[in-house]
Amino acid sequence: MPPSILDGPDALVNYLLIAGVLFSCGLFAMISRRNAVGILMGVELILNAAGINFVAFARFGHAKLNGQHLDGQVFTLFIIVLAAAEAAVALALVLAVFQTHKTIALDEVDELKQ
Amino acid sequence: MPSVATVVFWLIALLTVGSAVMVVTAKNILHAAFALCLSFLGVAGLYVFLHADFVAAVQLIVYVGGILVLIMFAVMFSSNVVEDTAEGGRSRIGMIVGGLVALAVFGIIVGIIQKLSVPPPSSSTAMPLVVANQHAAEPFAPTVSVKAGETGIGHLLMGQYLLPFEFASILLLAALIGAVVIVRKEIT
Repeated sequence: MPPSILDGPDALVNYLLIAGVLFSCGLFAMISRRNAVGILMGVELILNAAGINFVAFARFGHAKLNGQHLDGQVFTLFIIVLAAAEAAVALALVLAVFQTHKTIALDEVDELKQ
Repeated sequence: MPSVATVVFWLIALLTVGSAVMVVTAKNILHAAFALCLSFLGVAGLYVFLHADFVAAVQLIVYVGGILVLIMFAVMFSSNVVEDTAEGGRSRIGMIVGGLVALAVFGIIVGIIQKLSVPPPSSSTAMPLVVANQHAAEPFAPTVSVKAGETGIGHLLMGQYLLPFEFASILLLAALIGAVVIVRKEIT
């Protein structure tokens, strides 16, 4: 039976499509934005898309075992931890670059020292 | 007639996707940050629909409460928002190339999804799950059963995934020290 729009929260396809849109948006932001913080937002969107995929497959991918496997949720927790660490370091770098270059447009920051 | 859950699900999906598009298209970087907040909230709602309550709570606490506040700080400390708006923020060639690449990747994703053969969702997710333990010989494996919900996640984190868990804590410590070293002022 093909999934219909009435399946809503009960169809894996819907979650995968939402995650796909989030991933594409993040990719677009990473390519087109010049602002370093904007690029970081794109990375966060991509990480969220990956997290949705992990949890969705954890819920729908183990029907034969008569229950839910939690490994996907644990992986999403690790993704969130990694995102937090990455955001902290990246924003520290942004502030350091702004102190030396007075801008965070990444195509104007093309030298390693002043 | 769609059920209430279906309507709420599609509303949350629309919130997530719509604000993600706003994150990407907004000219003012501060508006993008606010849209990112809405998108994180929508993703947390999707986690609730996926019966992952604990992950939804962590998403709210860490993403909305932590990362988003950090991003707001960085926006307000570094970029002058008005100037970024005035010059449009990005080049036309970047928009075109980015749009093409993003559309191509989205097309590939949709093509893969259509080829997926999906088993129906499991019905008894709320009940504690007792499966035969295949890892009984391993020292850190859970000994009796795998439980559902937060208890199961705790058992997995302290059992099967203990080593990545400890590595994550070391990574957080390293990131903390690294961030402090990067932004501190030199004492001369």
